[in-house]
Amino acid sequence: MQLQTQSFAEKYRAQKYSDLVGQNKAIQEVQKFLKEFPKRKAILLYGPPGTGKTSLVLTAAKENNLEIFELNSSDLRNKAKLEKILKPASEQESLFKKGKILLMDEVDGVTGTDIGGVPELIRIIDRTFHPLIMTGNDIWQSKFVELRRKCKLIEMKALNTETVINFLKKIIEKEKIEENIHFLRQIALKSQGDIRASLNDLQTYSLENISSLDYLEKRDKEENIFHILKLLFQERQNFLGLFDNTKMSLDEILLWIEENIPKEYKNETLANAYLALSNADKFRGRIYRQQFWRFLLYQNIFQSAGISYAKKYPNHGFVKYDRPKRILKIWLNNQKIAKKKTIAQKYAKYVHYSAKRALKDFNTIKIILKANPEIQNKLKLSEEEIAFLEK
Amino acid sequence: MGQSDIWTEKYRPTKFEEMVGQQEILKRVRSLVQALNIPHLLFAGPSGIGKSTLALIIVKELYKDSWRENYLELNASDERGIDVVRQKVKDFARTKSLGNVPFKVIFLDEADALTKEAQQALRRTMENYTNTCRFIMSCNYSSKIIDPIQSRCVVFRFKLLEKKDVSEVIKRIAEKENLQVAEDALEVLYEISEGDCRKAINLLQATASISPDINLEMVNIISATTKPADIKIVLDYALAGDFINAREKLLDVMLKESISGTDIIKAIQKEIWNLQIDSEIKVKLTEKTGETEFRIVEGSDEFVQLESLLASFILAGIKQKV
Repeated sequence: MQLQTQSFAEKYRAQKYSDLVGQNKAIQEVQKFLKEFPKRKAILLYGPPGTGKTSLVLTAAKENNLEIFELNSSDLRNKAKLEKILKPASEQESLFKKGKILLMDEVDGVTGTDIGGVPELIRIIDRTFHPLIMTGNDIWQSKFVELRRKCKLIEMKALNTETVINFLKKIIEKEKIEENIHFLRQIALKSQGDIRASLNDLQTYSLENISSLDYLEKRDKEENIFHILKLLFQERQNFLGLFDNTKMSLDEILLWIEENIPKEYKNETLANAYLALSNADKFRGRIYRQQFWRFLLYQNIFQSAGISYAKKYPNHGFVKYDRPKRILKIWLNNQKIAKKKTIAQKYAKYVHYSAKRALKDFNTIKIILKANPEIQNKLKLSEEEIAFLEK
Repeated sequence: MGQSDIWTEKYRPTKFEEMVGQQEILKRVRSLVQALNIPHLLFAGPSGIGKSTLALIIVKELYKDSWRENYLELNASDERGIDVVRQKVKDFARTKSLGNVPFKVIFLDEADALTKEAQQALRRTMENYTNTCRFIMSCNYSSKIIDPIQSRCVVFRFKLLEKKDVSEVIKRIAEKENLQVAEDALEVLYEISEGDCRKAINLLQATASISPDINLEMVNIISATTKPADIKIVLDYALAGDFINAREKLLDVMLKESISGTDIIKAIQKEIWNLQIDSEIKVKLTEKTGETEFRIVEGSDEFVQLESLLASFILAGIKQKV
């Protein structure tokens, strides 16, 4: 066995497009983006860890003979820093007149301490003379709304098990490791489509040369919610751990399920699914009221197995899940009716009534207030409130 | 023609003689006030029949011009927590009154909206400060007031106003405001109000805001535009098997009209019996509706529970077709 000093993950990092496995579509998109620049200023590569996002950018630079200017999450990336480092880089020509790619790696690592980082990044996108590529795992956070609008989003999907196995087989050949397809499969399964993780595991396995993978802890990956929904609705397996590997709370997941049940279920199964969900919610309510956290168990079961077994046989096929809309709608509505509330309060005080009931009778009250400026004065309605009545 | 004030306020009776209906209660309350000594009072009955008005008349008769200094009005449905009872009520109750009446008055409107804890906190306050403060409480249902409080109060049960009472109020206002109210319009104003005088007056004023000529057609038009959106549309979508639209419409109605989950449930429960489905299915749906209401009251998420109820309507729609 040869002496290993370099990690497999670095050693076998892709050098050319053909080294990248299972990401042909993303490669084409990136190539198109670089060719057409500056038609679009920036792209955002997203997907689970180990799918080759950073490798793709580095390879793209090599294939197109471009330099790379990289900032990653180990760098401070607040407004001042971006202004001082990334902005000049985005406006200067590179050494030897070679073109360059600006790589903003792990953009979801721009955190709260990187104050003003995201807005500054957006300003730079508008003005850059060089293509800007960002990568990230969790780009669906609300702070990236504006950023998502500014760039083309390119998804890099987790690789399927067979692809990972074939990839590992090639490595094994090169490294002259004894082949054992059973272990390869286990490594591939455990990686959940994360090439980097599978390489690390393979390396450890070949170093120690032990015959069991049990010590390889299942990676504590953060499952993304779309994946969880797919498992829940379509795969029907290991329910009780289904929600363990996500940072999302059970209550948040409940909202996602609530939104997407009609996409997977119809009629009778729909009723079954909502019954299960309402049961989960019932226990959620009891936990809050009584602080009796054992009920979490029941919420979990209704929310997982209950939903999945609303149907005899699991669904198949691709379903595009939606983000929950209800909370946003409620928030928007509250903004819209804020004036209505203050008017109801003023009215209620004046006529010895409760604001709650005034809100209920608001349609009638509105007609009266709208038609009579003198009454508006008596209630001391503000200009905004009067404008609201006119709407 | 512009109106200068809100009529429910402008024409709110300020003397015992001006009140309509509730004559028995008036007689007894009046004698208490004349003796310058009232016990704690609990007014029970539906809205718009004179509970708050009578409370205001009492304090005006007791304190004459200085009634504002000796009177605190709290609406329990807006301020229903225990903190209100512990602070606002207590602070007001323990200070002495001004003038020759030895006590002040706190009017707790919609007291049935107070939480149980707040009511418990109230019972001690009522006893400890009886000398300096008397309570008048109003509620729709006296059963929602805990027994210890009821036993400390003299309870008056207000009756729904009769047609002649509501008509008289409307006629009085019409005369002062120079309105022509047609006889059939008067009839329908009463019908829509269901004996709730506030509702009748508001509807009258809304109609008069458009035209001083109050006829049947105008009243119907105004009352139709002010009716909260119909829950029936939601149920129709569900019965037709269209869950997505039913759910969206439901959320719209709840948000736009500021209607709570429990009010939606009440509307659905009523509507079930008007639907074109077998009675057997109606009973099943009512059972599910009851369970949904129970869960909401118990503290579950209104919308999730209502979605589950809508899903049952989808099933009912399918069964009906077979």
